[in-house]
Amino acid sequence: MGKAKITAAALCAALGPGGIPAAAVFAQEVRITPLKSDSTFTVNDRSFTITRGQVPQMPVPDTAGPCPPACLQPLQVAPGVTTIAELELLTFLETTVSAGDGLLLDARDPADFAAASIPGAVNVPRATLSPDNRYRGDILRALGATPDGSGDLDFSTARTLAIYAAGPVSPDAPHTISDLLDAGYPPEKLLFYRGGLQAWQLAALTVQSSQPPD
Amino acid sequence: MIRTVLALFSIAVLICGVIIYRPFSDTPAAHSAPTDVEVTRAAGQGTDTLALAAVASAPAPRPAPVAAQPATPPRPDTSDTDLTAMTNNVLAELGFAGVSPTPTAADADRASTADILANISAATGQESVLDDRPTLESIVVAALRAGESDGEIDRIVNEAAASGDLAVPELLVTSDGRVDTHVMLANIVTQAQIAAGGAAPAAPRVTPDNTQGMEVRVVQRATDEVQARFYTVQPGDSLGAISIKFFGVVSYYDAIFDANRSKLASPDRIRVGQRLVIPQI
Repeated sequence: MGKAKITAAALCAALGPGGIPAAAVFAQEVRITPLKSDSTFTVNDRSFTITRGQVPQMPVPDTAGPCPPACLQPLQVAPGVTTIAELELLTFLETTVSAGDGLLLDARDPADFAAASIPGAVNVPRATLSPDNRYRGDILRALGATPDGSGDLDFSTARTLAIYAAGPVSPDAPHTISDLLDAGYPPEKLLFYRGGLQAWQLAALTVQSSQPPD
Repeated sequence: MIRTVLALFSIAVLICGVIIYRPFSDTPAAHSAPTDVEVTRAAGQGTDTLALAAVASAPAPRPAPVAAQPATPPRPDTSDTDLTAMTNNVLAELGFAGVSPTPTAADADRASTADILANISAATGQESVLDDRPTLESIVVAALRAGESDGEIDRIVNEAAASGDLAVPELLVTSDGRVDTHVMLANIVTQAQIAAGGAAPAAPRVTPDNTQGMEVRVVQRATDEVQARFYTVQPGDSLGAISIKFFGVVSYYDAIFDANRSKLASPDRIRVGQRLVIPQI
C-alpha cells in the first residue's frame, strides 16, 4: 500500500505541470540534460534542431479510448528489440541517422503525422508494412534490404530503425515491429521508442508540423 | 460403515481446504489484502489525467488460448480484390463502351506505398521506385489481347499463382487449390453482356437429376416445412462456380459462404465432399 502511494505521487510529479521547473523563466534554461541544451542532427543534408520548453503541449490523438485497441504496451515488445527513451533517441538521431545508417519511423496515420511529429521522422503508417500490402517488399527495399536472388530479402545492409507511434497505449509501433520481424528484419536493427509522441511532448521537446497553416 | 463415512468426510474437507487456500496456486493475488490500489486509465483526452483510486481489484479477463492451425494444402495467395471490380477494369482496359475503371484495394495500396517511398527517398536521398508486378487484371488483359485460348489463359494464370507472384480473389480458389479461370472468364462475358445492355443471366433450374452432388430435403420446422437445397463439393469446384451453378452469376458466393460459415473458415477453403447449404435468395 505505502509503496503504491509513493509510486502514485512520483507519477503525479512526473506527469503534472511541475515536471518543468517553475524557476525556468527563460526558454533556453530548459535544457535537455545539464550538459546539453539542444540536439542538432542532419537527415539527408536537412538539418534539424531539437530543444526543450518551446512548444505548447497539445493532446496526442489515440492516447485515450477503449482498450482494445488502445491498450498499454509492454516495455519489451520482442526478443532482441531494444526499447529506448528520449535521450537514446536523440543520440540515435545525432549519430546513426546523421551518418545515413538509420531512420526514425512514425507508425501513425498520415493525418496524425502531419499534425505533429518528431523532427527528422519518416511517416510509414502501420498498415503499409502489414503482410496485406502487396507492395511491402518495395518499402523494405527502400529501407535498405536487398534481394538475395532466391526471392527473399537480405537485410544485412538494411538501416537501423527507431519506431514510435502515439504513445505507451498505442499498439501501432509494436505492430509495426512485429510485422518487420515477420518480414525478416533483424531484431538488433530495431529500436522501440515506447513513449512515443505523447512522452516526447510531455518533455516539451520540439515537434514539427507539416500541415499547411489554415 | 462409520469408518467409510468418516474417511469420505475427511477427504471432502481436504478438497474444500485445497480449493479455498490453493497451496499450489502461483498467483500471489489470491493471498493479497482485499483492497488494492488500482491504477486505471482515464477515459477522456489529456496527458495528465491519471486516475488513482483505491478500489477492490477486479480480475483481469484471461486471453483465450490460441488454437493450433491445422495444416492445409498449398493454395494460391488470395487478396481482397473484388472480382466484379477486377472484371470491370479488364473490360475498361479492353475499351468496352460504357465501362469506366473502378479503383480497387490494390490501387489504394499502390498509391499509399508510392507516398511512403517518396517519404523514405526524401530522408535517405536514395531513389526508390515501385516495382511493377503482374496483377490478375494485367495478365488477363494481356492474354485476351493476344487472343489466347481458354486453356492457355488457365495455364498462364495458374502458373503465375503457383509461383506466388499473384494474388487472386477468394471465390476463384477451387477445392483442389487452383484458380478457377472458367468462372473468371464466364464472369467477364456476363459483365460484358450487362454492359452492352443485355440482361443478367437468370438462375438456372437446378435439380438433383441434372446436377451431380445436389440434393433437396424437406426440413420440418415448427410451423411449416421448407425445401432445403444442399450441394456436395465436387473436384474442381470454387465458390464462384457453385454460385453460377445455382444462381447464374458469381455474386451470390458470399451468400453461400455466409450460410456455411460453420464449415468454411474463408471462401477460398472449400474441400471436396463438404456438404454446403444453398441459401434461398
